[in-house]
Amino acid sequence: MTFATVKFRSFLPAATFAMAAEFLMGLSDSVICGQILGETGLAAVNLMQGVFEIVTFVGMMATVGTSVLFATELGALHVRRARGYFTLGGLSSIVLGLMIAAVLALVRTPVIAAFGASPEVSAMTSSYWLYYLPAAAMQPVAFFLGTMCYTDGDAKLSFVSYIVQLGGNCLLSVPLTMAYGAAGCAIGTGLGAFLAIVVLLFHFRRKGCMLGFSRHFAAPDLLRMARTSFGDASKNMGKSILMFALNAYVIAQFGSQMLPVLAVVVMTIGISEVFDGVANAAQPLASVYIGERNTFLTKRVMRVALVTAIVEGCGVMLLLLAFPDLMLLLAGVSDAATVSEARIAVRLVSVALTGLALVLLFNSYYVFIKREVLSTVLTLAAVLVAPLALFPIGGSIWGARGVWLALGLAPGIAIGLFALCLLAYGGRSRFPFLLPVGREDALRVFDLELEPVAICATSAAVAEHLAENGVDARRASKAALLVEEALMVVRDRNAGRLIRAEVTIDLGDGLTLFIRDDGEIFDITDADARVSSLRSYLVSNLMTAIPSRRNLTTTGFNRNVFKL
Amino acid sequence: MEVKTKTEGSKLTIAVSGRVDTVTAPELEAALKFGDATSVVIDLGNVPYMSSAGLRLLLSSHKTMLGKGGELQIANVQPSVKEVLAITGFSDIFNLA
Repeated sequence: MTFATVKFRSFLPAATFAMAAEFLMGLSDSVICGQILGETGLAAVNLMQGVFEIVTFVGMMATVGTSVLFATELGALHVRRARGYFTLGGLSSIVLGLMIAAVLALVRTPVIAAFGASPEVSAMTSSYWLYYLPAAAMQPVAFFLGTMCYTDGDAKLSFVSYIVQLGGNCLLSVPLTMAYGAAGCAIGTGLGAFLAIVVLLFHFRRKGCMLGFSRHFAAPDLLRMARTSFGDASKNMGKSILMFALNAYVIAQFGSQMLPVLAVVVMTIGISEVFDGVANAAQPLASVYIGERNTFLTKRVMRVALVTAIVEGCGVMLLLLAFPDLMLLLAGVSDAATVSEARIAVRLVSVALTGLALVLLFNSYYVFIKREVLSTVLTLAAVLVAPLALFPIGGSIWGARGVWLALGLAPGIAIGLFALCLLAYGGRSRFPFLLPVGREDALRVFDLELEPVAICATSAAVAEHLAENGVDARRASKAALLVEEALMVVRDRNAGRLIRAEVTIDLGDGLTLFIRDDGEIFDITDADARVSSLRSYLVSNLMTAIPSRRNLTTTGFNRNVFKL
Repeated sequence: MEVKTKTEGSKLTIAVSGRVDTVTAPELEAALKFGDATSVVIDLGNVPYMSSAGLRLLLSSHKTMLGKGGELQIANVQPSVKEVLAITGFSDIFNLA
């Protein structure tokens, strides 16, 4: 297994869990209200889905661009620029959070009236909406800090914050809902977000924390961040519009009694959020590789991510086809007619999950490679345009079941059409990653486990490759020496552990050597590091002899860059 | 890596060829037995690469020969290995020929 695969898989559980926690957080209020307040509670919170998506959209607008640009700038070793983006993103999350809470306060009454739901459902939605406003202000900040903490390599704390937010939300929302109804549930959600923010602030005390404040930003950076964010965040905006449209359509065509079934459908489609964990797991690696213009490794990590997304999407789809009642249990649906319809609905919409897994992966990927327009087009086509175009047609042919079927088929149809357009635009050689052709000729990657035999074989292979490519013997030997000594030092520092490493030679612009390892975090490029052996003495002297060297400190893996 | 030794009276010549790295250094270490020789020449003419594992052997050989009042000469050092000796400052310690 390669370094990229191993690291991707090590990031995947935390990233998937974070997204699962996020999905459950979005779901928790529906579940709590459904279980405690019955199907009216479930329908009332379902009317809020569009609002939840808008709040997420706002949080993502402040976060996604910051996260990608922060990682890319760090990849290019521009620490002050990276921190400038972090500062700008942090400020944006606070301002946007306050702004969205204010806007939601203003539009509450007219929007609820526009749904035309039954008075009982409308009253409950109104109460929930009012007390949800503090949560709407805090969630963008919690989302921003959680994502940045993860991007900075602290997957553990990011994971803990999700647990705290989800656990806090559930533990507080249940008694509060029992005491105060839907309003109590919304208060619990706000308290959960507050607790998550408190937990995430501990990241700033950690060794290796690269997040920090800097005034190194300018107004155009805000535009760049917004443009980068929009590609990814557009899915939430699309989903928000779709939710408002679906709720209004279902109430108008089938009455408020169909809202609990729609709530189950929305929950089922919402599972796709978990698949965003695949892109999030790929991001720390892909962003760095893209920053290095390493097309070979970018493709490698994205291919692993692609397979993972398909496996996850198909796996969940098969699970729901076999056991649709899982969703019904979660929603607390018990009425016989609703159960029967919801069971069919779950099966029909579960078909959408594999397509959505792919959409989410490429939505993020195209943002990574700064093809934000492409990302937005793909996402809006799959989560908004295709479903919006198809569900009224399905509804007119086959009633409610036609709507569910249309929602199930829409992402697949959209991604199929998009793939055809992409093939026509980029050609087969660049499909689907759209990376520059020919760059790989300058790159050579070696993967190894840090054992002496493998280290020395890699060192020899580096020397041989450089000689074959016309690099003079002196530089080739120095590169080989650096590989052996640096990796042996890493091995010595991680005695008893199996460490993986990745060595890349880039002959695109002179000779650049990238050495990555997943051992203990330390800066091997520090020429003043403590010398404890002849090997560390040689490494220290080598560092002095190579003036163009950089270490990227991250809590995820070591990355050292040498220009020889 | 390959090591060939030749004894002429009290002079021992050890000709090394190939890479001297962490894996091959123990092989060289086993060959660096000086016996009664008072003059030792380590010929690195065919060594294009030497890491710290090889340097450690050169240092220890140098120390052994000094201890017994003999002489150690390192001959035909290739430029790439010479640079390693220069980087570490060992070129001033050894008698390079």
